[in-house]
Amino acid sequence: MTLTPRRPARGGRAVSLALASLSAFALVTACAGPPRQSGDQLPFKLSAGTPAAKGEIDSFSWATYAEPPTLDYIQAFDYPQNTILSNVCESLMRWTPQLTEQPGLAEQATNPDPNTWVFDLRPNVRFHDGGTMTADDVVFSLNRQMDPNNSSAWASVFQNVDSITKTGPLQVTVKLKSPDSQFLQYMATTAGVVASAQGVQAAGKDYGTTGSLDCTGPFKLGTWTKGQSLNLDRFDGYWGTKAKAKQVVFKFLTDSSARTNALLTGDVDGGYLIPSESYAHLRNTSAGTLYFGEGLSTVNVNITNMQGALGDVRVRKALSLALDRSGFVNTGLGGAGTVTTSLTAKAAWSADPNAQAAAFNGLPPTAADIAQATQLVKDAGATGKTLTMATSSIGQDVSLLATAVQSAGARIGLNIQLKTIAPNAFTALFTDPKARDGIDMFPETYYLSITDPMDLLTNFQTGSYQNYSGYSDKSYDDLAKQAIGTYDPAQRLSLEAQLNQKAADQVLWIPVAEWPTSLFLNKRITGAPTTISYLYYPWAADVGAAQ
Amino acid sequence: MSFLRFALRRLLEMAVTLLGASFVIFGAMYLAPGDPASFLLSGRSASPAALAAINAQYHLNDPFAVRYFRWLGQIAHGDFGRSIEYRTDVSRLLADRLPSTLTLVAMSLLLVLAIGLLLGWVGAVRGGATDSTILVTTTVAVGTPSFVAAVLLQGLFAVRLGWFPTGGTGQGFADTVWHLTLPAVALALYLIGMLARVTRAAMLEQLAGEHVAVARSRGVPERQVIWRHVFRNALGTVLTTAGLIVSTLLICTVLVESAFSIGGIGQLLELATTTKDFPTVQAISLLIVALFMVVNLVVDLLHPLVDPRITLNDRRSAG
Repeated sequence: MTLTPRRPARGGRAVSLALASLSAFALVTACAGPPRQSGDQLPFKLSAGTPAAKGEIDSFSWATYAEPPTLDYIQAFDYPQNTILSNVCESLMRWTPQLTEQPGLAEQATNPDPNTWVFDLRPNVRFHDGGTMTADDVVFSLNRQMDPNNSSAWASVFQNVDSITKTGPLQVTVKLKSPDSQFLQYMATTAGVVASAQGVQAAGKDYGTTGSLDCTGPFKLGTWTKGQSLNLDRFDGYWGTKAKAKQVVFKFLTDSSARTNALLTGDVDGGYLIPSESYAHLRNTSAGTLYFGEGLSTVNVNITNMQGALGDVRVRKALSLALDRSGFVNTGLGGAGTVTTSLTAKAAWSADPNAQAAAFNGLPPTAADIAQATQLVKDAGATGKTLTMATSSIGQDVSLLATAVQSAGARIGLNIQLKTIAPNAFTALFTDPKARDGIDMFPETYYLSITDPMDLLTNFQTGSYQNYSGYSDKSYDDLAKQAIGTYDPAQRLSLEAQLNQKAADQVLWIPVAEWPTSLFLNKRITGAPTTISYLYYPWAADVGAAQ
Repeated sequence: MSFLRFALRRLLEMAVTLLGASFVIFGAMYLAPGDPASFLLSGRSASPAALAAINAQYHLNDPFAVRYFRWLGQIAHGDFGRSIEYRTDVSRLLADRLPSTLTLVAMSLLLVLAIGLLLGWVGAVRGGATDSTILVTTTVAVGTPSFVAAVLLQGLFAVRLGWFPTGGTGQGFADTVWHLTLPAVALALYLIGMLARVTRAAMLEQLAGEHVAVARSRGVPERQVIWRHVFRNALGTVLTTAGLIVSTLLICTVLVESAFSIGGIGQLLELATTTKDFPTVQAISLLIVALFMVVNLVVDLLHPLVDPRITLNDRRSAG
């Protein structure tokens, strides 16, 4: 699933939209010293959650780094829209704050045979405009994702779906072309949203941009002042636990320092995706608390060109070996991160400790080994060769990673040129092959939309959208196919562990660090989950008074 | 030439210029790299069917001339097309966001005119230490770009002192004024300095003129000398500068709107450019050009009123 990559501002990269005051100097200094051990990093700890709310609250305000262009669920794949939409529209399944799956609008999901998923729907679920959810609404909502004319952001989730039909007043049956272990998991994301068929049809082409979203969530869409703010109002007919706040006001604060200032002064009560350059400020303020939670995100160097020197795996290995990961974490991620050589976050494997061990055992060390790296470059005959890495002032995570790679190259005999791309144009790297012309690699943070490493590992299959370097290996493809078709989690994860190892051996991207979710809550409010679950879980319903 | 004929002629000129501008604006989007369809799909592989649907929906495959004239025809009907990024009519996007920008520009303009004129006047008339102080202050103001001013003002008055909100536009008159004060000041600062200096120079030039000496020798009260013979004569230069100021304000809102999270057309233009949202960028560009021309027209029409020495014909050849 290619949920991540729009601009670095999207996907895990959202932290970036920063008008970063680039302290590139800091990293250069860090890189000049000996490689640091992870013990050197600034202390940060992951919180499982925030204290539960003590009571109801009239209203709280929330910062987002951009205004959603539309809240139509079929287009919602980016942070701002999902952060809002998760409170308004619910899915068949639900991702919990612990990043596990639960029944959502479907009371249960069963598969009588590997090619069939049967969803038994929760009865008496009300839509915001008054209707009651039926199987027809589910069939309609999912079919909208599959209609090519709608160019849904989630279309790839449905690529294996043969048909979606009503098999009872409250039962929907999905027939697959081949077994797909990912499908049910994606039904906990925005891909599985159920909206009222009548509501969507009535809104027509304006659905998602004005009026009601007519979904079932604990909040309904209130006033949307374009360019400024968007209100959600508590939905009194909600089937589940009532939200603690009567109203949530989302404010669109595109400038990262403006966002930080708004949090410091109490102009907004909280926000996710705190710019890393603001961590220190928000850690040391009495206005509130900065939390970190599991983000299922890794910061990587995406290899986009295997025609040049990077076509030799020894050169890729050498670059990975020479990288000062701790230095990058300290400066680029404001100390909040963990060095890694795995493409996928450790927590993605938590369902099976054996698979987790298999995925991580034997991965290269995170500490740099310049001598070995230099030798590898020499062996590959690549000494003195030039490579180009894209960078941008979009955020210090991006620019400082590029600097770190350049510095690593310099120490092992590779000449790495940085190509600075305007923040706005950086997006194009993810979408436009022409924009990647002449570029060998670029920084990319990738988050998983489901608690399954396959969400990232799928990118190295032949012809996969984000397989920019054109990597193709039949054994990888076969293994990936097998993993996707395996429903048993332990079995599947053990296959995925092999994929993770293969991707690491081949250094298909260079993993650098795990990057947690960041969350700031001021003293008025508490209760928001700290994990990346907020993209699909109705987190705002848990937020209430701190006192 | 009669005032009416002059106005008509200028309007016709405006229409022709706008047409030319529309061609340049529409054409420029073709020269820019990047493909709107790929942005629409944003990181997803699209089936050929989906790609074809998008291309058909936004007429991306039609030849340039066809698309240009279709666009012109739509604009004539007040239809600026449909935003690719926002999936809504561009005219509605503009209607939603224009009020914030216009309010901000209006507030800044008021500040620039009030403070700029006052400083220029006082500097020219008082002279001495007052004039030097004003000169130094306005030099600093002119040297401070609005985005720098934005950061400084926000840090001091919003974060440190907490007198103003850090951003947003507020609701209702008083709240809006409160919210827009810092951004308006940030936007106005440079132009205040500029207008003050222009006003000062123009008034000093008049003060040195013979007519002032004559008026003074005739015993005309100083206050009247300054008002009638100095300020009114300097007003022509000031007016021309004011026209320039409005145009600058319109363009510079882009810099300030982001810093203060004001969702006006400046910020919209920035975002639309990012996403290759052709219809939106084209509409905003054309709107800015049109506003620019209207301001110029108003300045031209006002000129003969404030300065009787200038006839409409003079203005035409001069401007």
